[in-house]
Amino acid sequence: MSSSHAKVGASTDSSFLGGRIPSEIEIMAKHLKDLDQEMFRKILKAVVNAIEGKDCREAMKVIAANAAIPEERLTYVVAGMYRLLKEALRIPMSSLKQEVFKEDLRELRIPDEFITDFSSLVFGSRRTTLEAVATQLGPRLPSVEDLRWRVDVAISTSSLARALQPSILMQMKLSDGSAHRFEVSVSKFQELRYNVALILKEMNDLEKRSILKIQD
Amino acid sequence: MADVDTKSLNGLLNGIAQIVYYNNNDITEELLKSELYPDLTPEDFHALHEKMKGLLKSVATADMDQSQLEAFLTAQARKRGTGGVSTEQAAVLSRFWKGHRARVRESLLNQSRWEPSLKGLTWRVDLQASASKGEATNSPVALVELELGRAGELCSRLSFQDSDFVCLEFDEAKVNQVLKKMADIQESIDTIVHRS
Repeated sequence: MSSSHAKVGASTDSSFLGGRIPSEIEIMAKHLKDLDQEMFRKILKAVVNAIEGKDCREAMKVIAANAAIPEERLTYVVAGMYRLLKEALRIPMSSLKQEVFKEDLRELRIPDEFITDFSSLVFGSRRTTLEAVATQLGPRLPSVEDLRWRVDVAISTSSLARALQPSILMQMKLSDGSAHRFEVSVSKFQELRYNVALILKEMNDLEKRSILKIQD
Repeated sequence: MADVDTKSLNGLLNGIAQIVYYNNNDITEELLKSELYPDLTPEDFHALHEKMKGLLKSVATADMDQSQLEAFLTAQARKRGTGGVSTEQAAVLSRFWKGHRARVRESLLNQSRWEPSLKGLTWRVDLQASASKGEATNSPVALVELELGRAGELCSRLSFQDSDFVCLEFDEAKVNQVLKKMADIQESIDTIVHRS
């Protein structure tokens, strides 16, 4: 087995899909023959919507109801398209040349007019949206959606006659819907602030360096 | 003899502080008696223990500074009978308080904190190199773990769950945003601290 990196490279003997073509794509290629282009575009649109995380069940139902082709054939086409686009979008644009992509699809005997449609999707203006969505859908930790704070001064307590001690009450709402409320003493607050500033500095430094380093 | 007394009394005050203010459950009144005052009868020791505990509580609650403490101890010394404080005892108390005031105050403040508090944080800055979906963006991501826990005497007695860890992800814009809020908070604290 060669590494995925070698496959992605410009070698002419293997497809961008890897050494073994995924079966969904192979089966799709067979079922694309004689498919009407208008129909193809409708299905493609629904599949792209699905990749973008939108609900496309209704659109799919409409397509299935009006299609002249049997439902089984439709499912093969949908599954194949989905897999094909997923695989193609995974590879950075700088690593996959449009010509290589087209040539690979031609080898699968996908009709030319459909290749043009696939290609304009993968290399066209829609790419930016698809990538933005992909970043959002990727695995990630929750982020802070809302941070509220309040500075309190304890005047007097059951244990201390004159406390006069400021403290900060923070409330965070996270993107996963949970909320956390906690107190921060002034000294802890200084520590927190220092660290957040340090994080920002590290990120800035990293950004300056990374432009040169991680790029293929 | 007086030297031994001074040492024992200082030990007793330390022991009381450990029990009452520093949540040290290993130390008990019995232990203090057997270690520091083996010759005293249980009744006498108990009286001494209660007296010192009471004095310390008065001093701690008022968070006395050194001159307030002198005045307080002078007043106590005038009292007759068991409530009184000898000059030696007053000197030991005064020295003890000098060393413990800040820590005791901190512990008392903690007794009136009921929300979980920020105990610590760790962080890491990552650069996404590859992803299952789409092209990896070359922008750095900060991963932050906050430790939120309850501190204080009450909580350790009720044996609350120790700490809660919250993991968060920030992009650069978010970090910047949080930092700005912190500047606001600092400003707010400064206005209060300067006025008082």
